[in-house]
Amino acid sequence: MMSSYSGSTRTECLQQIAQQRAITRRSFLRSAAMAGTASRLFGFAPLRAAALPRGQKTVVLTFGGGARDEETFAPEGQENIPHLMNELIPQATFCTQVVNRGILGHYVATASLATGAYEQFDNFADVAPKNPTVFEYFRKGLGRPANDVWVIAPSNGFNRIGQSDGTRFPPGFGAQVILPKHLLASALSKTATSSAGLDFLLQDNYEDPLFTPPAVQNNVKLSRLMEILHLSVDDFTHHAKTLSSADELSVYVMRQLMRQFAPSLLWITLHDMDIAHSGAYSLYLEGIRRTDRLCAEIWQMIENDPEYKGRTTILILPDFGRDSDFSASGNGFQHHRTGDPLSRTTWMMALGPNIRQNRTVDRPLDSLDLVATLGAMMNFATPLAKGKPIVEVL
Amino acid sequence: MHPRDLRAETFAKYPPQGRSLATANLRVLKRMPLILLSPMLRQIVRYDWSFPAEREQLLLQLKFLDRLDGASFDALMSPFSVIPLSSQLIEIDWVGHPQRFSEQLTAYLWSENQIDNYHKTAQEYQQRLQEASHPEPPAVPRWTIVVVGRGSQPIEQPLFRRLMPRGTLFTQIDPAGGLDALLEAVSLRAQRHPLEYGHWYIDGGEPHPAAAAVPGLTMMSYNRLASAARREFALLNQFTNRADRGGAAGVEEVSSYIASLSPEDLDLKGTLVDAPLRNFEVNILTQGAGCQIYSTTFVQWASRECLHRAQPLTLFARFATRQSSAPMEQLLARDPLMQPQDQAGSLIDADMGAYYTWINQSRLEDAERSRFLVWFEGHGLACAIAPPLPAGKISTAPTTLRRVLDWMA
Repeated sequence: MMSSYSGSTRTECLQQIAQQRAITRRSFLRSAAMAGTASRLFGFAPLRAAALPRGQKTVVLTFGGGARDEETFAPEGQENIPHLMNELIPQATFCTQVVNRGILGHYVATASLATGAYEQFDNFADVAPKNPTVFEYFRKGLGRPANDVWVIAPSNGFNRIGQSDGTRFPPGFGAQVILPKHLLASALSKTATSSAGLDFLLQDNYEDPLFTPPAVQNNVKLSRLMEILHLSVDDFTHHAKTLSSADELSVYVMRQLMRQFAPSLLWITLHDMDIAHSGAYSLYLEGIRRTDRLCAEIWQMIENDPEYKGRTTILILPDFGRDSDFSASGNGFQHHRTGDPLSRTTWMMALGPNIRQNRTVDRPLDSLDLVATLGAMMNFATPLAKGKPIVEVL
Repeated sequence: MHPRDLRAETFAKYPPQGRSLATANLRVLKRMPLILLSPMLRQIVRYDWSFPAEREQLLLQLKFLDRLDGASFDALMSPFSVIPLSSQLIEIDWVGHPQRFSEQLTAYLWSENQIDNYHKTAQEYQQRLQEASHPEPPAVPRWTIVVVGRGSQPIEQPLFRRLMPRGTLFTQIDPAGGLDALLEAVSLRAQRHPLEYGHWYIDGGEPHPAAAAVPGLTMMSYNRLASAARREFALLNQFTNRADRGGAAGVEEVSSYIASLSPEDLDLKGTLVDAPLRNFEVNILTQGAGCQIYSTTFVQWASRECLHRAQPLTLFARFATRQSSAPMEQLLARDPLMQPQDQAGSLIDADMGAYYTWINQSRLEDAERSRFLVWFEGHGLACAIAPPLPAGKISTAPTTLRRVLDWMA
């Protein structure tokens, strides 16, 4: 872990470059957001009443794989996110500084986002979060049925994210978790359709396609999932052939869930950009561009669906960043191992009917603030979550 | 076991030179906190096939620590000593398997929210070492030459935009004979300044024939190591299948197994003389992510590790195209040399790889005098970073790489 690199002057030179990055980070994110000064001068909206609008829905879109400023909101990165820049940010409240102080592994970090507490388990272990998830708070607090909250998760390990381990919250209130890649694998096993040409969508096919946490009350049986989603196996596999990535498959499944259940709380995690671990910068950029496009598509899905239009808030955030080019113990964009500020600091945007448009929030926020914010937004208690509600989006 | 319990016989299974080094420095090692001792033992256990620059650094460090008085030594160690370790960590055979200890330590530091503290402490320690040890600057300025774009056509995105603010961008290079000119310059440096593992050639494809004829040039290439990478995957499959039969293999177990592979395991044959290179090649393939499947990642990572460990006077790194993307299972199973190539993606990878190579060269001693050149092979674009050349300038005048090399000197 230790590096023998560096030395006085040359280290200072590299540190200077890194510091310039840090200093300008906030300013270029502000410029990226294109927010008017007026929105800051006029202050925050008043806290809304405890009773929320009837039928309010929330979508949380996270992306694992980590995205750095350099490839996103920095001037040189903005070409990779035209949809976020031109379509979404003008409609959004944009939080420029969201700091993740936990373990920078994708499953454990996403689980921490979902619990509002920094989970400490082995990122690669098949374990449920220790702390209650936002899905459990939501269902128990508002008395919602299982089909009113769904999680679409990208890859191995995430199957346990829907419900905590039961030590701090009564079991039975978790979310159903769909793993689209294995859903496709399962569909292929039931049809004569050849899997040839679909391998690129099936990279983690040891997952279960649907993970229903123990004791979650619902009527969804594994074998009936396709039927409930009103998908024929042939249609599903045929449509899969038109997709170019696993994340696109996730968005396709999300669309089916919205049509069939119109869940009030929907959590989707995209993961294509984690290809960065292969060290191929071009593939990492491709992943970012695809995620950018899918973010806009999801917002369009919301806006075009009568069940969602005008009553849905979407929160978009990466789970964390990636290592700085200047961390001696890292290898730049490839990993997120150093825990340096760039790998810990990211952003969040919120869009919706009750969200102020075209404004920025520059104060530092914590990744853990997400759950408390969702609770305040949807009017349920999150007693064991550690973060604070982000008042600027309430 | 506690570090104070170390004895000469504790290192009986270490290779001979590493064993001698550990025994000769037992007094220092016994006083070090385990969290710092472990990475040092990782260096000692591979001392027999370390590069000269690595050996020199390790010896300087041990010498520095040995000369410190008791109070200074304890003060230097105390930031490490106060980081608590779990009993499970302490019980690991950290003498016999320092690599395994480091892997477990990393996971532990993350889980205990101590990783940032550890990095900060390690950086301060490193800074202190450098201030105290005063390593000799290289006899001549280092040169790194990166060639990108072999087999690729120009792309829409501008190349070298991260490097340009630090150097001069040449837009009208005559590409004819460019590669020969660069290799001649490398050859000349290797002849004039002979140094063991001091001059390197790393290629993402088949090495240029002229490079093979250069005496004193250490060579490695992706094409020559691709079969070793496939052998590594086969062994990994065997290991995980065996482990699955006896209980699933965890990430740490797999990492430890991979780290234990030797040149012989990967069918990398050589002589005792080139053992450091063979072991370095194994390290590249077993510790680098993606460099087994993508030649662009291979060149970037190998260049990074070469600069970091061998600290060469000359590095010539040449990127080629990599195979097109595919599902990981296919990438791990198929022959990377027989696949369709991603030309545009490879050029983008190489452009970033060149930037990282410059950063890594800049981390070395005497970086202020270093020279760096990157050229789009077969085309007229190059960027040169050297003290005699202005930074952030664009030269549109027709010229040759030979002239650019002269201006950089």
